[in-house]
Parts: sequence; structure tokens; C-alpha cells
Amino acid sequence: MLTVLAAILGIAAVVGAYYAIHNEKLTAAIIASGIVGMVSSILFLLLAAPDVAMTEASIGSALTTAIFFFTLNKIRQTNG
Amino acid sequence: MDKKFMVALLVAAMAVILFPLFQSFEGGTQLSELGQYYTQNGVSDTGATNLVASVVVTYRGLDTLGEVTILFLAASIISFFLSVSKDDRIENRTVMSVTEILSTASQTLVPIIVLVGAYILVNGHLTPGGGFQGGAIIASGTLLMFLANPNHKLNHTIIHVIESTSGIAFVAIGVIGVLMMDGGFLSNKLFDLGTPGEVISAGAMPLINIFLGLKVGTELSNVLGIFVESQNEK
Amino acid sequence: MGDLLEIIGGVFLVLGSITMLLAAIGMYRMPDFYNRIQVATKASTLGLLQVALGVGLIMPGWAPKLVVLFVFILFTNPISSHLVARAAYFTKVPMSKDTKIDKLKESISKAHLKTVKTKA
Repeated sequence: MLTVLAAILGIAAVVGAYYAIHNEKLTAAIIASGIVGMVSSILFLLLAAPDVAMTEASIGSALTTAIFFFTLNKIRQTNG
Repeated sequence: MDKKFMVALLVAAMAVILFPLFQSFEGGTQLSELGQYYTQNGVSDTGATNLVASVVVTYRGLDTLGEVTILFLAASIISFFLSVSKDDRIENRTVMSVTEILSTASQTLVPIIVLVGAYILVNGHLTPGGGFQGGAIIASGTLLMFLANPNHKLNHTIIHVIESTSGIAFVAIGVIGVLMMDGGFLSNKLFDLGTPGEVISAGAMPLINIFLGLKVGTELSNVLGIFVESQNEK
Repeated sequence: MGDLLEIIGGVFLVLGSITMLLAAIGMYRMPDFYNRIQVATKASTLGLLQVALGVGLIMPGWAPKLVVLFVFILFTNPISSHLVARAAYFTKVPMSKDTKIDKLKESISKAHLKTVKTKA
């Protein structure tokens, strides 16, 4: 059961990563990378690593996504 | 030659190289020597019930110091290069209006999130978590605060004072461990180990966790603050 | 006594799962983004709360943590979907053809007047 769930989550993470790389819209790519962070944090929790899951959930999916968005906005505003 | 063909060739080559490894893989049935030492002597050595934290903070404390240094470097580089131009000052810039729902909810949620972060930070030696995790959660509380009010201005002086003090204190605890005890750098036996499972136990670990959490939390909050201050939605 | 609590908890778990299933069906049936997000939010919030209640009845020892979860779900789920829907509105995600009333459009001119040059 755990293996199946972990496999599904792993596939979801891979799909999210692929979407993040092969998307023309940068905003969608950023959201996809945030989803990868969230999914992998659940995966870490399933694999009995709650410490890593906490870090991944707050840094990987919240802070990194926000910082990417701030940077994107900054780049757009300097490049016109 | 076609680029896609080359990529497929590379993937196939990697598959050929890695397949024997995959085939001969056997999952470990017992812990390594180091892992056995940690699981057998971890609680009696450090007095912490959270073995991961005892490894991160005490046994491998030097590596944690390295991580914190890297984070500090990244934060300093960001604050050095991300200058706030004259058009982006708070008086001159335009920001999208924030809905009342978010600003009202954030007033309730931010304290709860910071409280959860502080709980994880203080209980780092008992339950999963620790300085890094608590600090990151506190920083995400700061992020919510900034989303609710983009014009909020962080007091950079206080942030820098907290950050440098906790960094110095972290290193100072390590040096005291070298000078006074024979436990080496970041020794845990600075204080009495106490009974494992209580909040005030595990020697210097809660103190180190608190300093770590303060440092990580303020650093990440500072990075977020600099980013938010340089935004301008024309 | 313990058996009764377990049965009630199980009933709540099933109820929560049914609510979530309805949310999934609604996601599939609804015509545009705004309808979908409101279906997903309301039903999934209720479903999650029912599941949490069921778990709390089966495992009374977890009650304090579940109360914290309750508060978090109750706050964050509606607010985040409100913000997502608002962001979608401002990035002009198309509405269904059957849309008759757009109240946000009426109040938007006032709201935007406020944003220009916010003094700190």
C-alpha cells in the first residue's frame, strides 16, 4: 500500500517537474515547481522523514515559490 | 546528427550503465556501524528523544554551522545586489490592493503560524523538527504578513541585531564546549543532560535550536523583506 | 462506549469521503473556472472537517492536534481559494457564457482608485 502511494506521488512529482520545464508560461512553471515541492514533502512524510517534510513544505513550496514570483516581477519591470 | 537522437542515445547509455546496479541492489537489512552507534547511544549521549536532531545539532553540529553560513552568505548577497531604486520606495510605488478578507485573516493566522514555528523550534529535541524547520515556518508567517500588507516595513536594525547575536551565540556555545569541556566543538554537555523527554533537558540542545531557529527565521524574513520592498507593480 | 464512538467516527469518515467525491464530480461537471473553484473549496472544506471529526472520534488522543488542524483548514482553505479566484479574475480567465451578473466589475473601479499611490 505504502509503495503504491509512494509510487503515485513520485510519478506526480516527475510530471510536475516535466510541466515546469516544458511550459512557455513562466508563472505556470513556477506554480508547477511549487507543486513538486508539496508532493515531495508528502512523500518525505510517508517515508518517515517528518523533519525533511517540514523543511520542504515551508521552504520548497512556500518561500521558493514566492521568491520566484518576486524575482519574475522584478525582471519584467526592469526589462520593460 | 539529430539532437533528439543524441538525447535518446544518452538515456539508453545511462540505462545500460545503471541497470546492473539496479539488478544487484539489495536493501540494507541492518544499520551501518555509525547508525548502530547513534541508535544505541544517542539518547544516553545527548539526552534528546529526537535522534535526528541529536545528529544534526550535536554529533554533526559543525555541518549545521556550515549550512547556516551558506544561508547567511546567500542572504547577504541578495541584500547587497538587490538595490531599492528611487521609484520603488514605498512613497512612490504602486501596489495592487489587498482584499479585506486576506488582511483580516492574516491578523489571526500570522500569530498562529509563528506560534507553531516557535513550538517546533523549542521542542526540537523531543519531537520531529528543530531550528531549521521552526525558522522556516516563522519565515512563512512573515511571507503571509507581507502578502497581506505589502507596504509593511521590516525593522532591519532589529532583524540584523537578532541575526548577528544568535549567530555569535551559536558559535560561542561551540567554542565554550571546546574550552571548558572535553566534548569538543558544540559539545552538548554544557548543562545537565536531565531526563530525556522533558522540555528542559538534552543539555545545550534547546539553546542551540533556539539560536538556530532565530537565525534562520530572521535571515529568510530579511530576504523576503528585501524582495517585497523592491517590488513595484506599475 | 468505545465501540459506539468508533462507529460514529466511521460514519463521519464515510460522509467526508462522499462529500469529497461530490467535489470531484462537481469539478468535472462545472462549466468554468470560477464555478469549479467554488465547488472544490466548499465541498473539500466540509469533507476535510468531517474526516478530521471522524478521526478525532476514533482516536480521542489526537484531539488537540485535530483542533489545530480544524482551525487551519477553516481559515486557509476558503481564503486561499478566494485569492486564487481573485487572481484568476484579474488575469482575465474566461467566464462561462451563461454568466449574467459580475458584481466584482462594478466595485472594481472603486477598489482600483484606492490602490494608486498607497501612502505608507
